[in-house]
Amino acid sequence: MAISTTKGTLIKGIVTVVPENLEDNLTLDVLSRTDQKALVEHTGIRYRRRVLDAKASIKALFTPGINKILKELDWDKSSIDVLICVTQTASISIPSVACQLHGDLNFHQDVIAYDINSGCSGFVYGLHTVSQLLSSLDQPTRRALICCGDISSAITDDKDLSVRPIFSDAISVVALENDGGIETSGTFNLETIGSGQNAIFTAETANGRKMRLDGIDVFNYSVSHVPNNITRLLNHLSKPTTFPDLYIFHQANLVINESIRKAINLEKEKVPNSLYDFGNTASASIPLTLSTSWNKEAVSSGWILISGFGVGFSVASALVKFNPSCILPPLSIDL
Amino acid sequence: MKETDFLEFTAKELLVDANEIGLNTVFRDLPRWSSLNALIYVSRIKEEYNVMISSQQLAASKSLSDLYMLIQAVH
Repeated sequence: MAISTTKGTLIKGIVTVVPENLEDNLTLDVLSRTDQKALVEHTGIRYRRRVLDAKASIKALFTPGINKILKELDWDKSSIDVLICVTQTASISIPSVACQLHGDLNFHQDVIAYDINSGCSGFVYGLHTVSQLLSSLDQPTRRALICCGDISSAITDDKDLSVRPIFSDAISVVALENDGGIETSGTFNLETIGSGQNAIFTAETANGRKMRLDGIDVFNYSVSHVPNNITRLLNHLSKPTTFPDLYIFHQANLVINESIRKAINLEKEKVPNSLYDFGNTASASIPLTLSTSWNKEAVSSGWILISGFGVGFSVASALVKFNPSCILPPLSIDL
Repeated sequence: MKETDFLEFTAKELLVDANEIGLNTVFRDLPRWSSLNALIYVSRIKEEYNVMISSQQLAASKSLSDLYMLIQAVH
């Protein structure tokens, strides 16, 4: 286990953006009626978002997200020091999406901008990287935007029933601020189990690059490693499982997420999910679930536990201080 | 674990009549077998018997007896 502590960096705001267009698993034409119902019951996923324009760029989702969060927080663009994109579905691989957004939105020159190639564990990895980067900056105020997410439909083979009924298009933009404080703001447990690299991967097909997924491998790797990753983190901090106000897991599917919840013996109320309405939204899933379930009134300790897991095989959990000034319901856009 | 218990469990999970299956049943020939139902079945085996069946083990298995033996090997 790789335990890492971040200091003085807090999540200030979360905006999530989804395409307006819905697909309903109960009317998925490649399945019988009985299988449609079983699919929704067991995966927990009814609706998925899917861009109508098959050539839509991930930038078209990130751009309104960035504009919205800057407006809501009343942050000037010139106050941003770090702009990181976590995605695996950039329309072009060079230059990075972060550099493209930097140019399109006219950020100033003193900005650290690059991409992180990561999927379902990507938000937690991104949060760790950016928190450390902010702490390292030699200036009194430091701000960052982490843009996470994928247009998974761009790499979905529509006939592949392990992929199509699960994945959904979405992005999140999370605003972070570091006040130079020395108090712990997050403790991370970051792990990689590379033997699971074939559980999820992309392959070149006649129709372009498509995602391949072995559902049973993903289940086995998740259930074997995620509960241990979380309990080791809590044990390291000498915190009981009752300490976090909420557990926000990556939204894989209900079979996997419920197995993890039961393995750690958590109450259902502490583990919200956004699967029914939004499906598996890759690296946007943790911010998106927060944006649909966060209730400021229910805060007790002021700390939440987040856990991302998947493609890699990569597992990352963190206990983070959480008291954002802005968290909005998902924004639907016509795309 | 008794054979009959395993067959009853399997019939319930794969939505078939318990009288219609036996240890010699080739599970891929069952009407409800699909990649999704395979995942649900494997997750239920983990929950019920605390045995993890890998995708390689499943691919190498043909009959319910093969799966029964994988579970028995742990118990």
